[in-house]
Order: sequence, then structure tokens, then C-alpha cells
Amino acid sequence: MSSLREKVENFLYKEARLMDENRYMEWFELFADPCLYWLPANEEDYDPNKHASLFYGDRNIVNNHVIRLSEGNAFAQEPRSRMRRVVSNIEIEDGGEEISVHANFIINEIRKHEQRYHTGRTHYKLAPADGSFKIKYKKAILVSLDEMQENLTFLV
Amino acid sequence: MTISNGRSIDYNALVKPDAVHGDCYIDPDIFADELKKIYGRGWVYIGHQSEIPNAGDYVRKWIGLQPVIFSRDKAGKYHVLFNRCTHRGASICQHDKGNVGGFRCEYHGWFFRLDGALQAIPYQEGYGDNFDRTQYNLRRPPRMDEYRGFVFASLSASGIPLREHISGPARQQIDYACDLSPEGELVVQSGATKLAYNGNWKLQMENSIDGYHPNFTHRSFISTLERLTGSKVEIFSGDAKTQSRDLGMGCSNIDSRRANSEHPHAQARLKMMQGTSWGKKYYDDLVAAHGKERAEEVLIVNGTHMNVFPNLVVLAGQVRTIQPISTERTEVYLRPSLLKGVPDEVNTQRIRQYESFYTTVGGGIHDDVEMFNRVHEGLRCNQDPWLVFRRGLHREQTDNDGTIFSQGTDETAQRGMWRHWKSVMQQDVN
Repeated sequence: MSSLREKVENFLYKEARLMDENRYMEWFELFADPCLYWLPANEEDYDPNKHASLFYGDRNIVNNHVIRLSEGNAFAQEPRSRMRRVVSNIEIEDGGEEISVHANFIINEIRKHEQRYHTGRTHYKLAPADGSFKIKYKKAILVSLDEMQENLTFLV
Repeated sequence: MTISNGRSIDYNALVKPDAVHGDCYIDPDIFADELKKIYGRGWVYIGHQSEIPNAGDYVRKWIGLQPVIFSRDKAGKYHVLFNRCTHRGASICQHDKGNVGGFRCEYHGWFFRLDGALQAIPYQEGYGDNFDRTQYNLRRPPRMDEYRGFVFASLSASGIPLREHISGPARQQIDYACDLSPEGELVVQSGATKLAYNGNWKLQMENSIDGYHPNFTHRSFISTLERLTGSKVEIFSGDAKTQSRDLGMGCSNIDSRRANSEHPHAQARLKMMQGTSWGKKYYDDLVAAHGKERAEEVLIVNGTHMNVFPNLVVLAGQVRTIQPISTERTEVYLRPSLLKGVPDEVNTQRIRQYESFYTTVGGGIHDDVEMFNRVHEGLRCNQDPWLVFRRGLHREQTDNDGTIFSQGTDETAQRGMWRHWKSVMQQDVN
């Protein structure tokens, strides 16, 4: 029997790998129905109906976005970013039906010969499903959330 | 012929009626000359009044490369002040925004009021008995003016008034954006997308009013729209009724008035927006505020899509500022604009629409930025240094209001910008 921590770690590593490899449709399958994916802008927390985010979307909005990225005409990802994510500093609160997870990330990204690093901390709310999890809520807070940013269309 | 940096630049030869020389984007001497003539003299957009709603609020801005503070004093008046201590030159404001009682230079403790007046100097007796503090108030641009909340400054004490720089037809476009609010006011305080690209600032200005690129650059976004609506998106096609329009003084727009008002579904759209209780309330409030005719006109036209030379873009749901850094680098600030006095749902919808396209993660703006980077790379090829802006030159018309227009995918808007750019750059400046 693997522990909750092992299960959560495996899940986060898989999510990171799918994103690293631009496997967005498979990544989308990790989300629960309904779900919320939120990348705040400028500040870490606010009313997202009054302040714009880098991304704030329910299942439909996320779905449209991953289809767009997968169709091949999203030129900001043509050529695509090569990426590897490192996920660490994982803290887990077991709420039974809902597991709250915080984790830091570092994304090493190279596109068109330029190497960039993107870092931050993600808050997940996971629902146990079939021995693994579905993402009910993902909020990724970039360290650079209020800085000049370059192309982040590969998603965080 | 103009002298810049000890060198002659013949701007007339660099900007032809149908083409622009690549040096206008990549020559550092021309960039330096722009800072002098465009950003160092003419009207430059600073910010929107609603960014500093309360006494003590401030935000940092720029005029060209010069840092300024946009502040509101205790009487509610706004100010544009240079972010430089009049003592020994240190910047006095370190945060991008905030709320303060005044500005203290932390180097030697000089304290300035929100209106820039020097209020206190530590150990003032060290300056003698006849010391006049007012001599060292924070410096400010000689001229400042606003139109419907959009505040501009000019570093020249003389020159045309703002209302000539923004012509009547250009002001009409800004009115379309503002009159979507029953109170006639935009509110620009819902955050900003801050993005940077490799290349000249004019690439973003040209692109903001470019009706030719969306079907191609934004293919993936258009496909998404088509998939969602189940119909072909035709607003950017070669025979659409949108118009590329030169509003004069370098201002221009993609004009959707005709396309939207003659759209077969225009009336149906007005009905549809009243299908919810909040949509109905918004419609009724707008009619009560502006009268039925104007209210329906602004709802059908639905804002604007325009440039105000040199650094402001006003779109239906957004205010964008272009910040030149060098020939190699430009920063862009995109801010969603909300409507004052409307149901929350209306504004939330504006925010969601903004996010879908205009953020660094979103579905559109970075496809534009990708093209700016590609142009910047292409500009290194000098065998044929020209960028061609001849589309629709043969079919331009002058409208009753004096503006020049052509079909929506034509380059009339860009030609207007470049004609004005040339006339400004040909001026002799000491």
C-alpha cells in the first residue's frame, strides 16, 4: 500500500510530465468535472470577478484552451517550448474527500534558443478517484506574477 | 533633412507613401531622435484617472524613458511629477503603486507633498536664512491635460492643445468606449498584463490597428471562436464591412461602426443582451442615461479599436500603453477597462473576455508578440530593407469628417500613423 504522500507525489510528477511534453489533452483528463484552473496576476489573491488573471477558467475554458494549443496554429508555441518541471516542497492536508496540496515548481523552458526559468507555488484541491486523483482546483502563483512577462502560453 | 547625433537623417526618404524603411525600427539614432521629438515634445499618454481613485494614491509611469509619478493629492487633484529628488537625483518612489501621505527621499530625508511641493528638509538651517523651498519642488511636465479620464502630458511648454492632437473623430471613438457606461466612465483598476518583446515599439502600434492579420496570426483563436459559435467568423475577411481608418495626427482605428450596425443580427443582439435580468438592467440604465438612440448605437458599435499616437491603444474592454525601451526592446501594459455603474456581471464578462486573449498565458496577444519578434529578426536582412504598406492605397476615400478610410484589411490606419511620424520626425529640435 502506498502512502497518501506517495500517491500525491506520483500524481504531481505525472501532471508535470504531461505538461513538459505538451500532452495537453491528456493533461486535461486529470481535471475533475467541475474544476477551476487559476493563474493570478499582479497579486496572489483577490476577487477574480473584479480583477483580471493570467488565466481563470472552468472546465469549458480550459478545454477550449488545450484544444487551441493542440491544433497546431498557436504560433506563440510554434516552435514549442521545451520544458522540464521540478516539483518540490510538497505539503499535504488530508481532508478525506478533498486533499489540499501545496507544492513549489521550477520550470526550465527553452524556446527559440532562449532559456528561461519560471517558478512559483501551486495550490491543488484533489479528489480521490480510481486509486489516484482528479484536480478540482489548481491555483498556480508565479513568483513573477507582477513582473514583465514573456510568453507563458505553454501554461503553468 | 534632420540632424541627429551629428548625423543627417532624411526621413522623407525613409517613409514613402506605400513603404517604410527598416531603419525606422532598428536604427538607435532614430530611436534617440524619437525620444526627443515624439516623447520629448508631443502629447504622451500617462495613465487613466481611475488608476488613482483616492487621495494619496500613486502609480509609477514613464514619459519616454523618463520615470514619472502619477499621483492624487488630498484635494483630489491629479499630478504628473518626475520621479527624481530635486536634491541629489535619487528616485523618490520605489513601488509601482501605493497610497502615501507624501514622498520622502530616503537618501537625505527631503519630503515632498503629493502635489510635488517640497514640504520639509532635515536640518534646513544648513541652507541659510534666505532659502526658498519652493525652488526645489518636484519637477513636472510643462503641460498636462485629459480627455474622459485619459491623462496626457507634454514635455514642451508650447504646442497644439490635446484636443487637436486627439481630433474630433478620434475623440468620438474614445466616446464609444466610455459611453458603454451609463455614467460615461471607464474604470481601469483591475490589474495589468505586463509583457515585453524584442523589437521596436511601433510594431505594437501598427499591429493594434491591423485588420489584415487576425485570420492568420490568430488562426487558433479564430478556430476556437468558430468551434464555439458553430459559424464562420467573417469580421476580418477581405470583403468585410469593417474599415481601416486614419483619424489624423497619427491616430487611427479599425472601424466597426458600419459592419456592426449593418450586421443582419444587430437587432437580435440587442434583444439577446436583455435576456438576463442584469443584461436588461444594463440596457435600461444605458437608455435612461444616454437616450434610446445613443444607447443602442454604442451597444451595437461596442466600443472602439483605436490608437492614440504615440503610446495609447483603446479597445472595447482594454486600455493598452506602449513603453519604448530601445530598438531591441518594448514593454506593453494591457489593462482591462471596466464600466462604471453597470451590474457586476457586465464587468465580469469583460474580464473573462480580456483574459481569453490578452494575457501572457491567453489565446491571442502572444501570437502577435511572436510576430513582432519575427519581424525584428527579419529586419536584420538589408538586401530589401522596405516594409510594404500599400494594401488598399488605390481604394482609399476621404469621409465627410475629413478622415481617410478604406476596407478593413487595408493599411490605411498604418499609413496614417507613419505619415504623422514622418511629419513629427522632420521637425528641427534643438
